[in-house]
Amino acid sequence: MPVTFIDIERQKNWRIGVLFFFLVFLYFLFAFILVQLVVAFLPGSEIFFVGAKLKYVAAISALALTISVVHFGISGYTAVDRVVEQVRALAPDPDDGVHRQLINVMDEISIASGSRKQIQCLVIPTLSLNALAVSDLKGRALIAITEGLLSRLTREQIEAVMAHEMYHVLSGDCLDASVATSLFGLYASAAEGLKEAVAQDFRVIPFLILFRVLNSLGMIVTMFISREREYRADAGAVRMTRNPLALAEALNLISGRWTGAGCIHEGLEMLCISSPSPDIHDQTEGWWSDLMSTHPPLVKRIDILLRMARVSPSALDRKGRTRTAYQPEAETLYYALDPENVWIGPFRVTELTAFPWFSAATMLSAQPGGDVEVAETMTVADLVLDRNPAEGRGGVIMSCSSCRQPLRKESCAQTTVHRCVLCQGVLVDNDRIFRILARREITCGERTKALLLAVTADSQRSLSIRKLRLRERKTIPFARCPRCGREMFRSFYSYAFLIELDKCSICKVTWFDADELEMLQCLIENKLPETASDHIGRPQP
Amino acid sequence: MLAVWFITACFGLFMAWGIIIFNRLVTARNDALNAWSQIDVQLKRRYDLIPNLVAAVKGYMEHEKEVLEDVVRARVLAMTTGRIQDKAKAEDGLSGSLKSLFMVMEKYPVLKASENVMRLQEDLVTTENRIAFARQLYNDLVANYQILCEIFPDRLVAQVFSFRQFSYFRAGTAEKETTRVELP
Repeated sequence: MPVTFIDIERQKNWRIGVLFFFLVFLYFLFAFILVQLVVAFLPGSEIFFVGAKLKYVAAISALALTISVVHFGISGYTAVDRVVEQVRALAPDPDDGVHRQLINVMDEISIASGSRKQIQCLVIPTLSLNALAVSDLKGRALIAITEGLLSRLTREQIEAVMAHEMYHVLSGDCLDASVATSLFGLYASAAEGLKEAVAQDFRVIPFLILFRVLNSLGMIVTMFISREREYRADAGAVRMTRNPLALAEALNLISGRWTGAGCIHEGLEMLCISSPSPDIHDQTEGWWSDLMSTHPPLVKRIDILLRMARVSPSALDRKGRTRTAYQPEAETLYYALDPENVWIGPFRVTELTAFPWFSAATMLSAQPGGDVEVAETMTVADLVLDRNPAEGRGGVIMSCSSCRQPLRKESCAQTTVHRCVLCQGVLVDNDRIFRILARREITCGERTKALLLAVTADSQRSLSIRKLRLRERKTIPFARCPRCGREMFRSFYSYAFLIELDKCSICKVTWFDADELEMLQCLIENKLPETASDHIGRPQP
Repeated sequence: MLAVWFITACFGLFMAWGIIIFNRLVTARNDALNAWSQIDVQLKRRYDLIPNLVAAVKGYMEHEKEVLEDVVRARVLAMTTGRIQDKAKAEDGLSGSLKSLFMVMEKYPVLKASENVMRLQEDLVTTENRIAFARQLYNDLVANYQILCEIFPDRLVAQVFSFRQFSYFRAGTAEKETTRVELP
């Protein structure tokens, strides 16, 4: 274990060599099989085996080595440029207050790490929450953070995230991941290019298949890339900033939110702080998940950081909420007499209303054994009793998929929806969506328009329909259907209306986050401002 | 003949060992020295920024003269102190007075509206952080060097070539006292 980051930087990296030999082996295998096939189909020649004709093997090896060197060279030296191009990262604008702060934070972290390496810092213009680090064989290194994450984190949290990425760069594991990504990214882009050519000429199909196969071999490389590196980078970040809580808060904010699926190019997962297209392996443990996934479960990472900070997860939750717009008020806690005549509690008023048996006649008390009152007579009663909590299948209380608060039945455009009291997200039955939209009772305010503009511009930019189809029907591990508890699928409302929604295909319900229903209404009614078409598809300077 | 070869080989190995340890000590010492110069760079930057900030806010803060005077006095004190222990104390005093200034500035919404003042404030905040991080790095590297000087057998080499100990940049008393600010 190196003592300082300066020492880490001085160390030579051996894993990159392993990667190179893997590539040579891969090409050797391919060339060998290819020659075998050609020989087998040529008339008048017999199949030869390894060792049978040494000069063939030597020739194939030489060929494999040459191709590998060229391929490795190209991808190793262009890794940073390729990623910059793919995510469309821009240099931070020194006239922008937030960006100026980012530049300063970057310098601070540079000092904390004691590194003399020049590391570029860029901003990715997207609303998703993510950050990534790339470095290449030229010695260039780059840390990029999305505009979405930048705007939602406090100064300390940005510092923690940047320190995490900085550790990736300094420890050298970023170089392995970057080169691996770039190696197989070349195949992916070659396959992409050939797919266009297929329409004109059918003879390129074998090459297309070849590149596809090679690309899927890239999966093997993700197995080399250990999940442990994320834990190590978290620990390294804490060593630089001495602030585990800030990193835990930042990860907590990222978890369960849009981390850039579809916007951050597929295949860049390894470089990101949290996987942009999370699948189930990213949230589970065990040897299979360890093998298949590049990121450990966020929950576990947060847990480790919180233990370092000696803070309980619930405190983080409270803190996380105060940071956002929601300010919890000091609420009175009540004990309640349940149907079996047992005092239970204490509960908040919102929690009490979640019980199916809670009614105006329920006995309440401020402390166990204290003065007992009927719920009806309490001042909170008016607020609570006229609203019924929504029941899911089998009488289970439905709770919000993101904040776990009970959902309340509510009337929207004369039909019933279930709204979360905390985050204002809405659960709507699929067949009711059209009713709500058709009735046009939701008004379209300035705020909605602005949100809509940002969201659709973000979704449309750089996305072809094909890419959209690819990302359809992916499970979102954090969002569970409030009704049945199964994982929901995240997909667009339609390809014409690019608003991302979580759907449960079994219960036939759709979860709209706060404002999403309004935005959809607004979009469908075509209430976009006049200038909208100018903005969409073009990143804001 | 064999014995001569044996002794020569042993001596050679001993020399190689000594050279490796000596080089390691020199590297660690220079890393620490470099980190110290980094602190200096950042401290200078802070000295340069403070007059600008004071000039920018002076007009608005007629009633807070003593806070501004504190800052100016602390700056002069920090700039003139030479020895490392005293320097740490003086710098902490300056950090403390700057914190009080920032807190007082919170009371003036008009300052928040000024682009120039906000920019200066961000510059000072980042400089404060840089100083803190540079100190952290310096202390880490000094600890690293100290360990190398003291562990056996490296300490033998360290003593022969008289590698001297560095002192940490400790937080002085001023830093530990929380800044007092009277709420309106």
